Amino acid sequence: MTTLGVHNVGLTYGSRTALKDVSLEIPSGSLVAILGPSGCGKTSLLMAIAGLLGIDEGVITAGNRELSRSGKRVPPEQRGIGWVPQEASLFPHLSVRDNIGFGLRKGRRRNERVEELAALVGLGGFLDRSPGQLSGGQAQRVALARALAPSPDVLLLDEPYGALDSVLRHTLARDVARILREEETTAVLVTHDREEALDLADVVVVMDGGRIVQVGTPVEVYESPATPWVASFVGDTVELAGVWRHGTLQCEQCGAADFCEPGDNRPGCSGHVVCALGEVAATAQGYQPVDGEDVRVVVRPEWLAPGSSGIPATVRGVSYAGHDALVEFDMEGQKERVRARIAAPFLPSVGQAFQLTLRHPALVFPLPSGVELA
Amino acid sequence: MSPGHKCDRLRWVDVTWPQVRPAAVAGALLVFLYTLSDFGLVAMLRFETLTWGIQQSFAASFDRSQAAILALLLVVIALVVVAAERSARGQVVTSRAKLATREPVGVITRTLALLIVLAPPLVGVVAPLAGLGARLLEAQTLREIDFSRLGLATGATIAVSALAALVALVIALPLAALAARYSGRGVGSLETLGYLPHALPGIVVGLSLVFFSLAVLPPLYQTTAVLVFAYAVLFMPKALGTARSSIEGVSPDLVNVARTLGARPFSAWARVTLPLALPGLGIGALLVAIATMKELPATARVTLPLALPGLGIGALLVAIATMKELPATLLLRPTGVNTLATELWSRTSAGEFAGAAPYAAILVLVAAIPAMILSGVRRTAKEEL
Repeated sequence: MTTLGVHNVGLTYGSRTALKDVSLEIPSGSLVAILGPSGCGKTSLLMAIAGLLGIDEGVITAGNRELSRSGKRVPPEQRGIGWVPQEASLFPHLSVRDNIGFGLRKGRRRNERVEELAALVGLGGFLDRSPGQLSGGQAQRVALARALAPSPDVLLLDEPYGALDSVLRHTLARDVARILREEETTAVLVTHDREEALDLADVVVVMDGGRIVQVGTPVEVYESPATPWVASFVGDTVELAGVWRHGTLQCEQCGAADFCEPGDNRPGCSGHVVCALGEVAATAQGYQPVDGEDVRVVVRPEWLAPGSSGIPATVRGVSYAGHDALVEFDMEGQKERVRARIAAPFLPSVGQAFQLTLRHPALVFPLPSGVELA
Repeated sequence: MSPGHKCDRLRWVDVTWPQVRPAAVAGALLVFLYTLSDFGLVAMLRFETLTWGIQQSFAASFDRSQAAILALLLVVIALVVVAAERSARGQVVTSRAKLATREPVGVITRTLALLIVLAPPLVGVVAPLAGLGARLLEAQTLREIDFSRLGLATGATIAVSALAALVALVIALPLAALAARYSGRGVGSLETLGYLPHALPGIVVGLSLVFFSLAVLPPLYQTTAVLVFAYAVLFMPKALGTARSSIEGVSPDLVNVARTLGARPFSAWARVTLPLALPGLGIGALLVAIATMKELPATARVTLPLALPGLGIGALLVAIATMKELPATLLLRPTGVNTLATELWSRTSAGEFAGAAPYAAILVLVAAIPAMILSGVRRTAKEEL
């Protein structure tokens, strides 16, 4: 069991920078999700770890062993790192049995291991099928079994569920996470699906433009995003203009009584802001604003709840999603509108009047440099 | 009628043609290339072309340097055309024929369309075969068949074709593998060079191999080895193109997966790329075999007149015979080795049209075998995908 280390890694294709100063520790036995939009460099990072791509700067290590540095790399077949590519990529000319056994030496033990893995991924009866006879989900399970067969130290999964429909995707993703934990395999999962990353991973790495923007637990990344971009990438946001005020509010006043104490990956509140939601508890993200400073306020729709106290608001529109709805409100005396997530089945109708309370400290970020909020 | 009625006329020009254009231009250039390398027909029509000039200087005056200069000129022209063809081909946009809407058409339109699409097989296959068959079935022809000689020629044809196919494939494979996986100016120019023999008339390759074997390896002159090599060089581009695209068709992801599963680069190639590209490589080899077997220009010119009795065959054949065509076979074949095509050639040259018929018939039959295999392989290859 070894810790995988990525230290200040840089990679360029011609004039395009794929990775810039990327550093990351992946402890043995953990499941790390790399989350980012297409073209953010997450697949390049994965291929660099696998040894399928060289790097221009930095070092990649496994324990004390150096795997990659500029102009030098241990070839992929000697790294003990497994890889599950997008869309399964089973060998079409080989049976399921020979696909799973591809990385094993010939012999009696090979067959035993193949059968063990087929059972693990729930495809014991499919060993003599050809890949063409499998469904997308089954093919992806075979690809996982094939990668696990030689017992790699680390398993890399590159958007393995991208081609599947959402129901199958969810079941398979949970299954795979369970199998990886059972096998105690260190795994790196690349995905652009935030729910997948938040649901499965121990640690979420958010990437954008070839850089790592934030590393944290799913709760940290979702509730204390490092930037407004991360906030909106990992979940829905409501953005408002506000003014920072030093000093915390009375808990009864702010309505966020359960959240203002730090702990449990939560920062607690460090001040308050005046914005369209009134005067609410807030936490500045990674900097200390001065009293009276104009700031950018970010809240999540589910942090807002209709209640008996708070700012008067009128329902403007309802965007129905089954389990809940995003409800758009006009705030009394304000130009800015807010959206609140309200659980089904008791949904408001357009024109209905409420009072909105914030149940979590608002997130406060500096204004984008050179931009004045109106 | 829809408001777009007027557009129906425009549709083909506006929609289909722009997408077809690169391929159509490439096709036209290919025809140009073949015409360039062909000389029988143009010479017959009293056009003094380059190929005709080469042949004249080689055959009549034995002025080999003159022939070489003309051949070089031809190579330069061919290079320009190959470059143009490749750049035209690069723009081809693939689309899905299945998505084409089917519009109802009247009986007359349908008949006319049917005639138009049937024209190529009718003109190219049915007419020559019918004529050939008619000539073959005449009693005198049947009596004159020399079966042992026919057998020897058939064997030689098959052996030379198979060897040429194998050699061409072996020569083409490394370049195909390189071009399929790596792009760049160096690889691009290498590949273009590989396609060059496509543009070379058989007579140029024949001549250069005559020079080469005389100068470097005199013992090989007029041996089967040189003949096989000549065909392999001449038709290697056919193997190169199919080998390249079939290797390209093997996803690099599969190779990457094999590597992460512990396979060294060569082992990954042998266990993954090669088996998956094999059907395509086989097609390439078959294409070379067919091309070799047919020695297309010679047979086409001989069988076609045979098929058109009453159209001044005599005059045509005399014209062909007096042209003293020297395709690669005639220049390079080992003394005493007769292939179907050379037998066919020498017999028609001597005016034995009836005697040539069985050779032509066997040639067509033998050439049909790989063609049939080819269509079978293609079908299974499609099913596999």
